[in-house]
Amino acid sequence: MTGAESGQVTWGATELFVSHGRTVALRGVSLSAPAGQVTAVVGGDGAGKTTLLRCMAGSLAPGSGTVRRPPKERSGYFPASSGIYEDLTVAENLDFRANGYGLPRQVGRDRAAEYLERAGLSAASGRLAGQLSGGMRQKLAVIAAMLHHPDLLVLDEPTTGVDPVSRSGLWWLIARAAAEGCAVVLATTYLDEAERCTAVLVLDEGTELVSGSPEQIVAAMPGVLRAVPFKPEGEAAARAWRRAGRWRRWDPLSGQDTDQAPVGRGGVITPDLQDAVTVAALARQVGQDSDPGPAVLAGQHQGGAA
Amino acid sequence: MWAMIVKEFRQLRRDRRTLAMMIVMPVILLVVLGYAASFDVKTVTVAVSGPQASVVAGLLRSPSFDITQIAPGQGRTWAQDRLRDGNDQMAVVTGGTKPLVLIDGSQLFAARAALTYLAALEHRFSGAPGAAGGGTGSGLPVTPKVVILYNPGLTTSDIMIPGLCGVVLVFVGTIITSLGVVRERQSGTLEQLAVMPLRPRDVFLGKIVPYFAVATVDLAIVLAVGVAIFGVPFRGSPAAFALGALMFLFVTLGIGVLISSVSQNQGQAIQLAFMTLLPQVLLSGLIFPLSSIAAGVRWIAYLLPLTYFNEISRGIMLRAEPIASLWQPFVFLAVLGAVVVTGATLRFRAYLAPAGRERGRKAAPVTQGAAA
Amino acid sequence: MTSLAGCAEVTKQFGDFTAVRDVSLLVQPGEIVGLLGANGAGKTTLIRMLLGLIGTSRGRVELFGEPPSRQTRSRLGYVPQGLGLYDDMTPAENMQFSAAIFGTGAVGALPEALGRYAADLVGSLPLGVQRRVAFAQALAHRPDLLILDEPTSGVDPLGRARLWETIAEAADGGAGVLVTTHYMEEAQECGRLVIMADGRVVAEGTSAQIVGSGHVVRVDAESWSKAFGALERAGLQVALAGRGLRVPGADPGAVRAALGDLPATVRQVPATLEERFFELTAQSEAA
Repeated sequence: MTGAESGQVTWGATELFVSHGRTVALRGVSLSAPAGQVTAVVGGDGAGKTTLLRCMAGSLAPGSGTVRRPPKERSGYFPASSGIYEDLTVAENLDFRANGYGLPRQVGRDRAAEYLERAGLSAASGRLAGQLSGGMRQKLAVIAAMLHHPDLLVLDEPTTGVDPVSRSGLWWLIARAAAEGCAVVLATTYLDEAERCTAVLVLDEGTELVSGSPEQIVAAMPGVLRAVPFKPEGEAAARAWRRAGRWRRWDPLSGQDTDQAPVGRGGVITPDLQDAVTVAALARQVGQDSDPGPAVLAGQHQGGAA
Repeated sequence: MWAMIVKEFRQLRRDRRTLAMMIVMPVILLVVLGYAASFDVKTVTVAVSGPQASVVAGLLRSPSFDITQIAPGQGRTWAQDRLRDGNDQMAVVTGGTKPLVLIDGSQLFAARAALTYLAALEHRFSGAPGAAGGGTGSGLPVTPKVVILYNPGLTTSDIMIPGLCGVVLVFVGTIITSLGVVRERQSGTLEQLAVMPLRPRDVFLGKIVPYFAVATVDLAIVLAVGVAIFGVPFRGSPAAFALGALMFLFVTLGIGVLISSVSQNQGQAIQLAFMTLLPQVLLSGLIFPLSSIAAGVRWIAYLLPLTYFNEISRGIMLRAEPIASLWQPFVFLAVLGAVVVTGATLRFRAYLAPAGRERGRKAAPVTQGAAA
Repeated sequence: MTSLAGCAEVTKQFGDFTAVRDVSLLVQPGEIVGLLGANGAGKTTLIRMLLGLIGTSRGRVELFGEPPSRQTRSRLGYVPQGLGLYDDMTPAENMQFSAAIFGTGAVGALPEALGRYAADLVGSLPLGVQRRVAFAQALAHRPDLLILDEPTSGVDPLGRARLWETIAEAADGGAGVLVTTHYMEEAQECGRLVIMADGRVVAEGTSAQIVGSGHVVRVDAESWSKAFGALERAGLQVALAGRGLRVPGADPGAVRAALGDLPATVRQVPATLEERFFELTAQSEAA
């Protein structure tokens, strides 16, 4: 869709298998991260996001599979336990990073000043990093990771536990990095964030649950979705969940034409990304024995503009 | 409180390394320190003075004595100065009715060795004076007179071991309990404890009891090792000893918990624990007699539980002192215990007691009406 | 009806710094109250006062019609952000510990789905499972008031929906719930919202009441990053929402002009809770 940008390199991983001791962290997961775009890796704790991101950042070697990543000095990594020295000031932390990547002094200073300004951290540049609030520290860590204009920026849950104001500052930084041509891979648990990414990979227990553009994932949702005022009774309860004070109920249609339940009739609604991902998880849970159907389909066949 | 104790035991059981450390470390420490405290002195340096100096030097000649000076022209003052300045460990002054043997008692182990070796050579003095060389006919009177200078009591390893038991327990007890509360603070469970209907006292006792049980076992083991390996006598009442030991343990573990409750992280807790350990080892009368500690710092000794435990354990084990004559250390331990419990409880109250009660108990209840 | 939790004109100062000023808040039985605010807005301090962990500088806090005390605590369930579970004990042992302290006698049952984790150490479990254990523990003594600090942070969407189900069930059973969140989508689950900024309550009511009739300009461009750059250069305040861009407080014509010849649709849409939240926070900072 963004043809001009997609002419550049695409980083990524193919068929990764990683195990930590006896537990398998990743099972055949693939990811592609085109330059100038933001790719989201979504999943709860233990889904394998961090493992995948560590492989992309080169801090972990996969058991099998290939990783295409730029050399170390051309990538930036924001680990979940953000690599910031608490006993250095904000400015000193950034100076250290700029030096470490061999940026000319003035270039480093100028970039740091601009990013800090836009992220709302300028006033804090003389403060010790250890004294920053959670959100401020996350912003500092992201700035530190993108200061040297890497080709690939890997961000592990930069916005988890961050208040909405800091979150918007973080997204400014992320948008800025992508606009400068960097391939951004970002782990998140928030689907409204995933929605603004070009491509989304949803992980569940180390495997791919769904992937594609947000539109593709929504379009590929099997069955129909209804909004109902109360929790359904009986067997349907397992296929229902609470959302915004009301209930969503998902009905898989076994190979039938989905047009028989048009949107607007019988409470049928158009799903959004969050609904589609929830349905995929439900489909896997409910139908462990039956065919999970197209929920696990990658959606690539839809191609083109959504 | 029971719930706290069960929880602590469960956690302690999971923490095998700490548990192993609590059991094994005291034994190792005691054996190492015990042997260190009773190491042998092979050679004692001797200066001999007075008219018969060379005769006596001849009598003393043996691998055990290293004769550094023979000064027939010198007297007792010279000999005493030799000891005072640390040049020799023993000095013999001849010329009186009996040879006078001076021993530096402040060099504990050398002094004990000197006495032993002297006894072994006694036959040379008493047996055949003429045959012993010299043979000047002046004739040496039998059996020299021995005077021990500076530390006439000659503290022995019998005295060290009961105290060392205490040191070992102080080490293990303080360090391990000092981590208890800090760990809860760092893992965020302290806040959860704070919103549970627990009393500060419950938390304090809950923290202490499990370690108390383990430390009691420790004490028994350490004592058994002391008696078995080092042959320390146990002459007094086991019940009285047990009472003193338990009081001492309670104070020691309580200090650990108190340290833990004022520390922000485990590093701080360990540092603070060591700050209480060093004075206990140095000032409790274990190494230097209390009377020899400068008055300026002696008061510190009286704040240390180990000081009182030393008195109790030496008194009961070695001298079979009845509890009635040891009432002072018992009372002081009890006072220290009360202080520690109060301190820790106050600290816990700062986290655990419901706050917000202090002000404004007037006007209508807030939970009605303020809806506008 | 008596509220479960309430504070009247409560102020808390730490030295020169006023963390909470003149806040009044009530939680009624069966009600889910969402407490929103940026970091440093005073939410945590307020919760700590409600829990009785710290005292007030001025004003009064009451739980169940009385000042916080050991008795009120036994009617309270609290899930802190850090969960407050013992990592080196199993879920079952954690539950037993809490049951013994709350004196509920019977140990609260672990939810069936957690049964298979009963013998593992909490520290070895995935965070999502730990969260459910913490919930089960907080609910086991059937508290009348439930206080949850960011209960769903780091949880996947289905897991989050299931946690909210549990919260809603507790409320339906008559418990009052006070919950903080940074996630505006989640705020919709709450019956009533209280927004704090700079230590004050700046808005209170249902989501619809708080949002009111504000509007923003929404831009849907083929490439949001290009549109983002264009609007930024024009000095407009741009926020990302999904793949669209939202420009609060701007005129649609000005936005269109700023985009130049970039292909994009520009329209005026009702403001969201998040936008209203930013507005309130910004106003409070300016004040």
